[in-house]
Amino acid sequence: MEKFLDVVIAGLLLGGLYALIAMGMSLQYGVARVLNLAHGEFIMLGALSTWTLYTVFDISPLIAVAICGPITFVLGFLIHRTMFRKLLSSSTNQGIFESTSMLASFGLMYVISNLAFMAWGPEIRGYSYLMDTVSIGGALFGARRLVTLGFALAIGVAFYIFLSRTKIGKAIRAAAQDPATAGLMGVNINMVLAICFGLGAAMAGIAGVLVSMCYPVNAAMGIEYLTVAIIVVVLGGLGSIPGSFIGGFLLGIIGSIVSFIEPGLTVVAYYAIFVILLLVRPKGLLGK
Amino acid sequence: MWKKILAFTIPLTICLILILTSVFAGCGGKADKDKIVVGMSRSLSGPIAIIDDSAFRPVYETWVAEVNAEGGIYVEEYGKKLPIELKIYDDKSDPATMAQLTEKLILEDKVDFIWGGGGTSFIYAQAPIANRYNYVLITMEGGASSLKELLPGMPYVFVTLSFSDWYEMPVLADMLASKGCKSAYIMYIADLHGVEYNGVAGVELGKKGIQILGAKAVPPDIKDLSPVIKEAKASGADAFLCFAYPDQVFPAVGTSIELDYNPKVWLGGPGINFGFFHTAFGPMVEGVMGWASWNRKSSPALNELADKLYTGKPEDSNDWWGHAFYWAGLDMWRAAIETAGSLDNTKIRDILATQHLQTVLGETWFENGLMNRETHPGEVGQWINGIYEVVGPFDKATAEWVYPKPPWPK
Repeated sequence: MEKFLDVVIAGLLLGGLYALIAMGMSLQYGVARVLNLAHGEFIMLGALSTWTLYTVFDISPLIAVAICGPITFVLGFLIHRTMFRKLLSSSTNQGIFESTSMLASFGLMYVISNLAFMAWGPEIRGYSYLMDTVSIGGALFGARRLVTLGFALAIGVAFYIFLSRTKIGKAIRAAAQDPATAGLMGVNINMVLAICFGLGAAMAGIAGVLVSMCYPVNAAMGIEYLTVAIIVVVLGGLGSIPGSFIGGFLLGIIGSIVSFIEPGLTVVAYYAIFVILLLVRPKGLLGK
Repeated sequence: MWKKILAFTIPLTICLILILTSVFAGCGGKADKDKIVVGMSRSLSGPIAIIDDSAFRPVYETWVAEVNAEGGIYVEEYGKKLPIELKIYDDKSDPATMAQLTEKLILEDKVDFIWGGGGTSFIYAQAPIANRYNYVLITMEGGASSLKELLPGMPYVFVTLSFSDWYEMPVLADMLASKGCKSAYIMYIADLHGVEYNGVAGVELGKKGIQILGAKAVPPDIKDLSPVIKEAKASGADAFLCFAYPDQVFPAVGTSIELDYNPKVWLGGPGINFGFFHTAFGPMVEGVMGWASWNRKSSPALNELADKLYTGKPEDSNDWWGHAFYWAGLDMWRAAIETAGSLDNTKIRDILATQHLQTVLGETWFENGLMNRETHPGEVGQWINGIYEVVGPFDKATAEWVYPKPPWPK
């Protein structure tokens, strides 16, 4: 029983992080229709900024959440307002926009990554924070991992409330369902799309803060987390935010079980799930 | 009449001048040369740019600046000192690109020499090319026992960095046995590096009667190491050996701290030997061991080297494993050129293969293509009072080995 609890909780701890990473990407694709291949770079920016804030300015990573989240939001918002808005207006249909925006995000990935290389260098960065041990039902876990899970859950719930209870949330949902009709109903569609892209970037930035608390970070880390995000987004259903939330935890638990049996097969299991899902249920768990 | 004479004389005179110029130039020795061009394909971008940035680059930048400040390397056949000019291409962390760029440097750019690319897999790609075109290749980052087996067939290749069965693991096995260490648990990365270190550890520790209670391979991008650390803890092994890179070693340290896993020996690497390990974990590093080669206290020359490389720079830039070897490799190259009095790669190869030369490590030579072990200032290191000390072999230790490892600070 202790072993079972051990594996499941370890999976939830990792899954929370995956869920947060994937939710941001899902939001960007689900509403703004941008399959953002630079998503991992926003995670990297959040992670390296937190490292700087903590090691240079002695600012706690928990406070860094409140700094990195808004900054990456503004960055994402501005990128959409400039680059993707222009692509949207010049695309004759949604299919063309999706492909051109994906290519543009591919370029953006390299731009951000290389700028980060210039700013932080390629060194691996890390810091020790909240290294305490917590016992749950006899199983031991790191306090910092529990904090990351808490944040991931809190942000997931807060975002759900934001979407369901606020006026902007309603506009986002309307834009996700039918942007043209939403526009006719008075929704400032360009603004909503930019907000969605910014929110996705903010989630990535916050995920980066949490990642930096648990793992070493560097300017080349983005691609690794992008892969995880894509797997989770496909698992949950392309564009489905609840699907990404559930998919993240599911992938974390599966990874933890496989890791418990044979760590060398963890990444293999991720890709196996990805392939099987594409063959059996291409629309994902909650995709439409 | 005069017109006819002039019509023949002028072209004849010009031809004579040209012929005489070329004849005298030939008699006077080599065509004049004003620099030694060294070509390198390095990973300036991409995932292993970190190796370039933290390992060889700080060394060659400092070394070349120092040599050029003295006017360069004296080459007898030109009768003067020649400064070094570096021609560096970015292989974007791709060994295949690096192989193409190496051929370009040799065939198109016709550089005088090439220096090594970053990482073991790059050596495998570059060494046969250098050897095929008779270019001396002194490798920097990387090394492997399987590479050692290839060296007899590649006489132009010389390896500077220490690796598993080439002194490191036998020294560690001796150290563990001397303290009565009975068992070990191994976590290793599932690549050439990890598989080799795990295999060599099995052999060398086995010779000393140290039992391997578990050996777990992990993929490079594993995130949650808690199952492995919990298994290692449950095994009760005296030593935990983590043969992986910083991306795995750092989380392994973090997870060990979280789960309060504190074996008598916690050794990992590469990664533990870098200053950025200390800056990341602070006082938590006390007692953690890794691979090493040198320390400020190893010799006055190495203390001076530390001053040159690290003074005024953040601690992150420190590398107490490779930097001294890379510097010594460049010293060997310079000494071989000065001894040969020539830029001829074959002459320089012959000197490198046969002669003892002076480097920052003292009298140094290559033995079957490998930098001699006798000159190594150390093999195993440990963080003691915030300094990465050489603790093994015992006769080269700069501090007494702390065994068992102290508990993780609270």
